[in-house]
Amino acid sequence: MVRSLWSAASGMNAQQVNLDTIANNLANVNTVGFKTTVNEFKSLLYQNIQTRTTSANGDTKPVGAQVGLGVRNASMISIFKQGAANATESDTAFCIEGEGFFAVRGNDAQTYYTRNGDFTWTLGNNNTLILTTTEGLPVLSTTGALITLPRDQYVTSRITVTADGTVCYPDENNVPQSMGFAIGLYQFNNPAGLNKEDSTIYGVTDASGPALNEATNGALQRSKLLQGYLEQSNVQVADEMVSMIITQRAYEMNSKAIQASDEMMQQANNLRR
Amino acid sequence: MLKGLYTAYTGLRHEQHRMDIMTNNLANSTTVGFKKEGSTSQSFDEILAYRLKDTTDVGNLAKRIGYNTPGVKIGETYTYYDQGPFQATNNTYDLALGGNGFFTIEFTNKAGETTTMYTRAGDFTLTKDGYLVTKDGDYVLGTNGRIRLDTLADATVGKDGSIMQNGVTVAQLRLTDFEDYDYLEHYGETYFVPVEGYTTKAADAEVYSGYLETANVSVVTEMVNMISITRAYESNQKIMQAYDETLEQAANQTGRL
Repeated sequence: MVRSLWSAASGMNAQQVNLDTIANNLANVNTVGFKTTVNEFKSLLYQNIQTRTTSANGDTKPVGAQVGLGVRNASMISIFKQGAANATESDTAFCIEGEGFFAVRGNDAQTYYTRNGDFTWTLGNNNTLILTTTEGLPVLSTTGALITLPRDQYVTSRITVTADGTVCYPDENNVPQSMGFAIGLYQFNNPAGLNKEDSTIYGVTDASGPALNEATNGALQRSKLLQGYLEQSNVQVADEMVSMIITQRAYEMNSKAIQASDEMMQQANNLRR
Repeated sequence: MLKGLYTAYTGLRHEQHRMDIMTNNLANSTTVGFKKEGSTSQSFDEILAYRLKDTTDVGNLAKRIGYNTPGVKIGETYTYYDQGPFQATNNTYDLALGGNGFFTIEFTNKAGETTTMYTRAGDFTLTKDGYLVTKDGDYVLGTNGRIRLDTLADATVGKDGSIMQNGVTVAQLRLTDFEDYDYLEHYGETYFVPVEGYTTKAADAEVYSGYLETANVSVVTEMVNMISITRAYESNQKIMQAYDETLEQAANQTGRL
């Protein structure tokens, strides 16, 4: 009896976490560069409640009577499928088409990675401009350096970026010329292993493997950079709504199982009047 | 009289066990690769009933007055290995099996012992080294042992379980089926372990990449079961109360003037 109570409770807990995930996905449906998270479940251990079991005609069966003890959340993984590219007015908005990530330098001087290409030119020291995210974290180039410009020599709205990330500025004849550096793009062997930080930023872990530089690693399939576009979240609202219905009903049914167990215990309790 | 009291007790205990099994089905109604379970009810072995202190039968023996079954127990728990519905995920390494068969998993427990286990849950992923693993990190086995892929190249999984990268078959999933599913024990984690006496055979399952096989739990059936279990429990409880009342009368009313 207590088993069924705890099994149902484990079911309710698991569904609660599932709803938390769905709610977070839906809350971020308009977050640039957001990747949807999926919850998966596994059954808990099994217990023998009777060692000798027989089939209908009395033959002993090879396996005893087993009862499972509920469910747990096995994994919550991000799905790194491409989101839709949305045109914007900003010249410093970039969308990655492919498997790459932008590298940014965090406040703790560590390197982090993001798919959110909503950048801006920020005023740095010594009259320079630095390309940063909207939170002010500097974006790194293919060599891992900050992307800086002397402030008074360039009009930032005339800067263009090619599909491979090279930053260009037009010469006297209005032909874009490379400025000698490119926005860095990095890939991971196992992006699902990345650690989620805040603001759609990911940190490297042992599970993800080290970052692979697209510019230097020839084995990688290079991603394309689109200037003037932002990558929308890849949350599928219809999928999330269906998941929400399933989650809510599963939650409800587990609560019914708790009620039923409770009633049975009450009846057992009432045996002795 | 007391015999019936214990019979009702076995009834209560039995309904509890059925409730435990049913609740586990509900708790796992959204677990990938879960197969629903049920149990059969079986009466205890019949025993002969005799008259007490009776010598009327041949040879001054007590007279038989028929058979008596002193209660109910679980006959067996069984698993429905029916096909579960597919859920589209579009992830290459989400694999669903259509038909009979299991994925073969190399499972290492906390003590470091490695065993081969079988599962229908095909929600796999790649490690940074390119090994195909379950979400818990257990290796998925191919026909040549662990499956190692190139993480940087796209992969496609064919219906026969072959994994292609760059147009070349790089690995083949090892699908296993069993002659008799009675020889499979639940480990938990949606894994099955075969027990002594099992025989394997070739699996006829097809592999569908980009899908997951969800639990084959039918919630309507489970809710109906729940009603029948709670009501059966209630009736057994009523029987016990009736016995209690009769006993009370026997103890307190009989012989009173």
